[in-house]
Amino acid sequence: MFKFIKQYAETIKGIDIYPIISLFIFLLFFIVVLWYVKKMDKTSVEKLSNLPFDAEDDNSYANTI
Amino acid sequence: MQLEQSTLTTHVAEPPVTGKRETFFYDNAIVSNFAIATIIWGVVGMLGGLYVAFELVFPKVLNVGPWFNFGRLRPLHTNAVIFAFVGNGIFMGYYYSIQRLLKSRMWSDKLSKIHFWGWQAIIVAAAITLPLGITTSKEYAELEWPIDIAITVIWVIFGWNMFATILKRRERHLYVAVWFYIATFITVAVLHVVNSIEIPVSFFKSYPVYAGVQDALVQWWYGHNAVAFFLTTPYLGLMYYFMPKAANRPVYSYKLSIIHFWALIFLYIWAGPHHLLYTALPNWAQSLGIVFSFMLIFPSWGGMINGLLTLRGAWDKVRDDVILKFMVVAVTAYGMATFEGPMLSLKTINAVSHFTDWTIAHVHVGGLGWNGMLTFGILYWLIPRIFKTELYSKKLANFHFWIATLGILFWVIPMYWAGFMQSFMWKQFTPSGQLKYQFLETVTFMKPFYAVRGFGGLLFVTGAIVMMYNLFKTIAKGKIVANEQAEAPALVGAYTRHKGEHWHRWIERKPTPLFIATLIVILIGGAVEMIPTFMIKSNVPTIASVKPYTPLELQGRDIYVREGCYLCHSQMVRPFRSETERYGEYSKAGEFIYDHPFQWGSKRTGPDLAREGTGNLKKSNAWHFNHLDDPQSISTGSVMPAYSFLIDDVLDTTTTAAKIRAMQKLGVPYPAGYDKTANQDLVKQADGIAVDLKANGIKVKSDKEIIAVIAYLQRLGTDVTKNKVVVENK
Repeated sequence: MFKFIKQYAETIKGIDIYPIISLFIFLLFFIVVLWYVKKMDKTSVEKLSNLPFDAEDDNSYANTI
Repeated sequence: MQLEQSTLTTHVAEPPVTGKRETFFYDNAIVSNFAIATIIWGVVGMLGGLYVAFELVFPKVLNVGPWFNFGRLRPLHTNAVIFAFVGNGIFMGYYYSIQRLLKSRMWSDKLSKIHFWGWQAIIVAAAITLPLGITTSKEYAELEWPIDIAITVIWVIFGWNMFATILKRRERHLYVAVWFYIATFITVAVLHVVNSIEIPVSFFKSYPVYAGVQDALVQWWYGHNAVAFFLTTPYLGLMYYFMPKAANRPVYSYKLSIIHFWALIFLYIWAGPHHLLYTALPNWAQSLGIVFSFMLIFPSWGGMINGLLTLRGAWDKVRDDVILKFMVVAVTAYGMATFEGPMLSLKTINAVSHFTDWTIAHVHVGGLGWNGMLTFGILYWLIPRIFKTELYSKKLANFHFWIATLGILFWVIPMYWAGFMQSFMWKQFTPSGQLKYQFLETVTFMKPFYAVRGFGGLLFVTGAIVMMYNLFKTIAKGKIVANEQAEAPALVGAYTRHKGEHWHRWIERKPTPLFIATLIVILIGGAVEMIPTFMIKSNVPTIASVKPYTPLELQGRDIYVREGCYLCHSQMVRPFRSETERYGEYSKAGEFIYDHPFQWGSKRTGPDLAREGTGNLKKSNAWHFNHLDDPQSISTGSVMPAYSFLIDDVLDTTTTAAKIRAMQKLGVPYPAGYDKTANQDLVKQADGIAVDLKANGIKVKSDKEIIAVIAYLQRLGTDVTKNKVVVENK
């Protein structure tokens, strides 16, 4: 199986296009992430960012230093 | 505080959770175990670093061979600080934060315990095997195959427990820190397995299946991403949890943390080839590494800014709160290291920095600054909380902060300076076109810099020891709350999307798609880099005159690997005039096709050895013998350890047959059945060298290890000079 793939991969011409394609994949990916973040609902973002805090947190030793 | 807590819980956008309120207990015992291990291994690893630093200042006194020679101890130091200090630090913060973020105890205490003791056993195994010279020679992956398997098992146990805990959680949404933990688990698993594929020759020796250029690419894909996914992503998870906790306010921008996460994990995996610029690696792969390394600056700085701005409105607290001080320095160091990294990936800068102490300074900004200071901050925050007591001494903690900060400065400044000087001295020509400096002159010039660096290290370790005292005193006066009570409603039924909810919220709730998405993202980069290098013949042009090593050379090469020679000597002549003048023809990809493992190295404390057996660099067997026996007697001012034990130790030829068979399996064209006759050739070649040494007044038996090492050194670079056909790197 591996040999079969290898045989074909060896014959690919212009393999140097790989980096350019990769760059585009990333740009596309990045734009999607940016778009998603922009569309996020403000209140849920606030709720999410507060996840480390819990009303029952024991803070009796907070700021001891 | 009360006021802040109430505002924190005001904005709840989710539909009310109807689950029954449950009482449960967080496992603090596992956190405490990892914390204590972090403290102890931290001090041990840093003391190891201090010792190797001073080996370069007092080479004759401190290189107590063979076990305490630089080449064997340096991997011990790097492994100890990366996997023992930082590794335990990760797990300490992880076990504390993930339970609280998921509002759930770990799924299995037993798995947590196996994880803890298994990890410590692996560290002990490393501490024993590395000084014994049992190594694969792949940087930060030096441990041999049985330990590799143990690491895989323990890593799977860690991941299994994590996912099982995620599945039984009480908090529906996964906070960004948990994403970083998931990415760490997946990527480290992939990196470790791919880089550790090797053929065992004996219980303590293996050869990687990759050779030369491919081995180098896989190794630095691993090496770079070990920095990314062991020293960075888990620590970013810790930053996103502990920094808001210490500052008592949520992270500056949660949206930025999402961009930080996805952009970082996508980009990092591509950047490995920047460790191989100007080498024999195909040019397109180098370009790929440069582009992605440069882009990395954006998410990294996004993360740094996010961390620092979390302190908005709390900067007055930084004056008084030592924990925040540690964290501010840590995040600033992260910013500095991640600015410098992309810069070092630019070819023009890399041409200067590579192989010099500049790289060592760069990694220590990250290691001491980012990992070290963040770990210290978390330890000071966490220990009083799980032991329900106040810190033993605030004064000592403040002293630690200042001495550690000073220590970093004394450490890195001389090393940056040393790096620039090294590079300029290596590259300087006289007006008549001759190289201005002998390599040895550049070595002796470095000694004062190495001494000051050692002093910086001493300050940093002193701080860590003071912390150990302070925290152990704190532990002694407190009492651990091994099971900390908490309450939260259970998650019930299927979650229904509320109107207008964004699609990504689905991924945040569902660990499995998040797992798969992360895996796909990290695999794209690795696949694009590696598949063509492995598949395309034209990437590694073959050179007809390159032949497999003779059995004696192969044994000698394995001793070269065992002694960690690659840590100070590169075998890669870059295509610069300053290098081709000094070392000879630049290195070609096709030269390394039988090198399992590759020995290109990453640092030149000593000169390059790629052409050691050729041209002006060729020395007599007697020279090598005397130089290995007592380097300083031949090269005054050299910092090389003595290898006189090679004269006494008998070469183990019982392994020859197995080694030849392993090489044959890997495609090295030894004739069929050669394993049975290889030792005859070995003895013949060894006798020849012994006779030559005798003629030069050195009496040594031909069955000693030193003979094999000499044979290997004399072979280096000779294949290419036999070949008059010019082969270009593509």
